[in-house]
Amino acid sequence: MPTGIAGSSALLRRRRLARFAPKRRKKEIKVLVQETTWRDWALVALPYLWMLLFFLMPFLIIFKISMSVTEIAIPPYSPIVTFKEGAMQIILHLENYTSIFTDEDGTYLKSYLKSLQVAFFSTLLCLLIGYPIAWALANCKTATRNVLFMLIIMPSWTSFVVRIYAWMTLLKRDGLINDILMVLGIIDEPLHMLQTDFAVYVGIVYCYLPYMVLPLFTALMKVDYTLIEAAYDLGCRPVRTFFSVLVPQTRSGIMAGSMLVFIPALGEYVIPELLGGKGSILIGRILWQEFFNNRDWPLASAVAIVMLTILAIPIVYFLKSQRKARERV
Amino acid sequence: MNEFISRRRSKAARIGILTLALIFLYLPITMLIVYSFNASKMVTVWTEFSLKWYGVLIHDDAMIRALGISLTIGLLSAAASVVIGTLAAFVMTRVHHFTGESAFMLFMTAPMVLPEVITGLALLLLFVTLGDLVPVFQERGIIAIWIAHVTFCSAYATVVIRSRFIELDVSIEEAAQDLGAGPVKVFFLIMLPALMPAEVAAFLLSFTMSMDDLVITSFVAGPDSTTLPMQIFSSVRRGLSPEINALASIIIAVASIGTFIGWLSLVRKQKRMEADAAKAAEEARRERERLKA
Amino acid sequence: MDVMPETAAAAGGVKNVRRPGELPGQKASPAGQGRNPILQIKSLTKEFGNFTAVDKVDLTVYEGEIFALLGSSGCGKSTLLRMLAGFEQPTSGSIMLDGQNINDLPPYKRTINMMFQSYALFPTMTVRQNIAFGLKQEGMPRARIEERVAKMLKLVHMEDYIDRKPFQLSGGQRQRVALARSLAKEPRLLLLDEPMGALDKKLREQMRLELVDIINSVGVTCLMVTHDQEEAMTMADRIAIMDRGEFVQIGGPREIYENPNCRFSAEFIGSVNIFDCKLVSSNATQSLIETGDFERRIELSHDLDLADGMPLSIALRPEKIYISSQIPEEQTNWCEGIVENIAYLGDISTYYVRLSRGRTVAATLPNVDRFKTGLPTWDDHVYLSWDPESCIALTI
Repeated sequence: MPTGIAGSSALLRRRRLARFAPKRRKKEIKVLVQETTWRDWALVALPYLWMLLFFLMPFLIIFKISMSVTEIAIPPYSPIVTFKEGAMQIILHLENYTSIFTDEDGTYLKSYLKSLQVAFFSTLLCLLIGYPIAWALANCKTATRNVLFMLIIMPSWTSFVVRIYAWMTLLKRDGLINDILMVLGIIDEPLHMLQTDFAVYVGIVYCYLPYMVLPLFTALMKVDYTLIEAAYDLGCRPVRTFFSVLVPQTRSGIMAGSMLVFIPALGEYVIPELLGGKGSILIGRILWQEFFNNRDWPLASAVAIVMLTILAIPIVYFLKSQRKARERV
Repeated sequence: MNEFISRRRSKAARIGILTLALIFLYLPITMLIVYSFNASKMVTVWTEFSLKWYGVLIHDDAMIRALGISLTIGLLSAAASVVIGTLAAFVMTRVHHFTGESAFMLFMTAPMVLPEVITGLALLLLFVTLGDLVPVFQERGIIAIWIAHVTFCSAYATVVIRSRFIELDVSIEEAAQDLGAGPVKVFFLIMLPALMPAEVAAFLLSFTMSMDDLVITSFVAGPDSTTLPMQIFSSVRRGLSPEINALASIIIAVASIGTFIGWLSLVRKQKRMEADAAKAAEEARRERERLKA
Repeated sequence: MDVMPETAAAAGGVKNVRRPGELPGQKASPAGQGRNPILQIKSLTKEFGNFTAVDKVDLTVYEGEIFALLGSSGCGKSTLLRMLAGFEQPTSGSIMLDGQNINDLPPYKRTINMMFQSYALFPTMTVRQNIAFGLKQEGMPRARIEERVAKMLKLVHMEDYIDRKPFQLSGGQRQRVALARSLAKEPRLLLLDEPMGALDKKLREQMRLELVDIINSVGVTCLMVTHDQEEAMTMADRIAIMDRGEFVQIGGPREIYENPNCRFSAEFIGSVNIFDCKLVSSNATQSLIETGDFERRIELSHDLDLADGMPLSIALRPEKIYISSQIPEEQTNWCEGIVENIAYLGDISTYYVRLSRGRTVAATLPNVDRFKTGLPTWDDHVYLSWDPESCIALTI
């Protein structure tokens, strides 16, 4: 043994040095566990190619077509690349973009602003209505919660158009709401509700509310309620507790829910078309009209590209936060 | 005492909120169903009970044809979405770090958040461009709609299946390998049975999304392939009709029966798990007694 | 002689005869003597990016022994086990099973089976189907499968539970089914990943002995991974202590406890008082050592291969210290202090004695007397002494 002590000292010294090296977290190890093999690549290939072909490609094509002008042809736009006398010619038109921004009536800019406004306020409404619902749901007994959860989700399993149609019958001049208000004597004359912005808000809130409630509910289920008790214990009043304890803990749910409402609401077509009036010209409707009614595909493409640019920040933010949540799992 | 009051108040608040929410969610649907049994052509004035509009619906050939198209596309899209979703979820949870991984994640999740008008326009322009090369895309029939639907449905299917993949215990798959099962066998014998509830859920979700889609379909569909939502939409745009009420009632009935069955199987599964846990606890108790002896 | 782990093991646990602690009842038979090596690992390394989980490890496991890899979490023991099972690909080095390199063999082609920490029983299959799974993959005829399943269930005393599902079993029962499943294919090497990790403490102690009995009755060679030193000591014939991807020491339980080869080893197993010291003089029969922690010198009854004046550490186990109220007669190997704290643990009590120079030393006394008469109490002035053989000299 004595020889052993001295002889192994070099080994031991090395070990002691190693012990001072920074310790790595376990998670890091886990992520690096597997190397990619050809078999993994084969598995990645199908979904990857599908999405590349049918998702990325189309956007490049939209971008390309937004640079051409309409023509009476099939397809109804001018080619960008032409061959003339053996030479390749590339013509890029920026008219579509200039006409969006410098249109005399400002139709496009106005409708972009209007869309942003509608999307923003509907998101806010959904949040204000959805948060109490999610809170009440999260605080129920498990059995009751399951039933209620099903009940809240169920309407979204029925047809979207049918749900809008239902509100058309309710909001009509001789619809149920006007009837009730008249019978109660609150109003003498039927209110004009259908084909107004009010109807659009009602429609969006009705259809998108579950998308807000779901992530909020998930976030609220994860909240550590002892923190709230601790806050009360330390003398924090309910309202303050809500903003300083509950809201920060459910931030991820609030953001996810808001994005899930805001992004699709911005491009909504069906709801303003059926419930909105002539004033509710949202950008989704403009795009639709340019495409189907005016058959101006290049302009519709340009409208879409501008809309995508507006949405880029919230979409990237949303996807990033989703990814973070994924990594946390 | 103070706490008692606040707890009771919070319960009252909970009941109030949920009641209002359910009224808001169900009032329009209930009214639809009620007026589907109305004899009058007016969708808002009640005259007498009648099944007349259901009869009109059954004889509406355009509507029935649209339903057939929608069902076909719905089933095909759901099947393809589940396959792609399973592959994508597998890749996301079991294969780490490959080139272009973040781009892959983006492609798989983006279709869920993009406004439908953009996705629809993008896909149509793609089909027009590809139409020169591959004639299938030129027709803009069922196949084109199917491809469009699979593109966004598979994103949803991926999310559902992926969350189940995460719950699975990797060591069970390793145990199967350890006992001599190759990767393919492990997938079919071990993983697929465990994934089944998620596969079913993803199928149903994709089917519903496909059946319900209006905007994207309107862009890619040609004149001969009108789906059910498109048919409803054009009919609603023409004016309110009790026939739509009848159709809506049927859709709602199907959806609620589906939801109910789902709920029932969930409850049954929970009961079974409770029974198993009780048995296990009983065995543990006996084990402790044996230890004492 | 270099105490590289592999040489120590291959040399059949040759120990210095002068070392103390060679008492009867040593569990480990000197490993490898006349035995057939089953598993040989040479210079095995696993890197994750720029993090080295397992660093050039050498190891030989002999037929029929139970070998334990002991270490705290993140020391690389699980990675090593997973490389043996085939779930991780080594960065370099080789794994030989029965003289054959199995580096590139996928897990499903190795004659190694593993019992997982979570047991990893197939939840949708019954006990019977679980145990039969591996046999079916081999393509064994049904009748023989039935026979083997029955035999395995008998071995683990689970015959009555053949048609139960895993979720209907208690933790201990699940463990036995998992064991039966991994033994069913009659593997050359059985891997146990934290075998008691999912059980509660009482059950653990019972199951340890049961598990060893079953493994011994089958005669399978077994390599286990654990972070629980008690588990390793009771179950294994030989133990390797692992730290930061390397083996610190390999040996029988008694050898590792009584003759730790470095500070890490000494501190990892059991509790120990370690004094920083300096060698005063050393000859064939006696070494004198000086420490800053108390006045008296430490005396060892053997020589140290170290220059005079060189630093070293002396490790002293608490149970090897005598506590007395009378001043010892010897010139060396004692110190004095005041009882600062007493931890009553039932079977023994640990006394924390504050020496006059500020150092606290732990010493234990068995609680032989129910009414603890004559034992020191708080604030008593006591003398701590020990035998020269009890001290372990460490260069680190």
